[in-house]
Amino acid sequence: MSYYENMVSRQRKWMFYLLAIYVLGAGFTPYQQIFLGLLLGGCVSFYNLWLLQRKIDAFAASTEKNESAGGLGSISRLAAAALAVLIALRFDAYFNVISVLVGLMTSYLVIVIDFFMSRFQKG
Amino acid sequence: MSGALAAAIAVGLAALGAGVGNGLIVSRTVEGIARQPELRGQLQTTMFIGVGLVEAMPIIAVVIALMVM
Repeated sequence: MSYYENMVSRQRKWMFYLLAIYVLGAGFTPYQQIFLGLLLGGCVSFYNLWLLQRKIDAFAASTEKNESAGGLGSISRLAAAALAVLIALRFDAYFNVISVLVGLMTSYLVIVIDFFMSRFQKG
Repeated sequence: MSGALAAAIAVGLAALGAGVGNGLIVSRTVEGIARQPELRGQLQTTMFIGVGLVEAMPIIAVVIALMVM
């Protein structure tokens, strides 16, 4: 498995753990609105992470083969984030909007923490 | 009306900044892969982290613009 594939699988694993924690929080704590917001934001964030990983892999592969590359899918990711916020604003009885924002940033936290952890492990 | 205009300007400027940032990252990565294809994995990882961090800003801008609109 290459360096990039290792990183991708690690990040997906951490995102699954975080989503599981959000689900447990929504089911078993009194802060249901907050955890549902985190879960909505986290799901969209996971989709964004998956899309970014896929697009960057395809982009690098096409560069290596000297083919024309497509875009990186930024508009799709922005649209997904906007959709999550619109859902949260429309159903504000169920989702806390600030939690959705924090949930949307989950994957970026995972990327940064994973980067530093792999750096320190390598020494 | 003015709220929508402000939101559009905020999102547009954030997208513009992210576009320029992503362009710089991608161009350097493509240059690196073209020079040394065997380093593709590491360059791809660096590109991924860079693009991810750059894209956090327009996403926050979109969310805040929608919230204040």
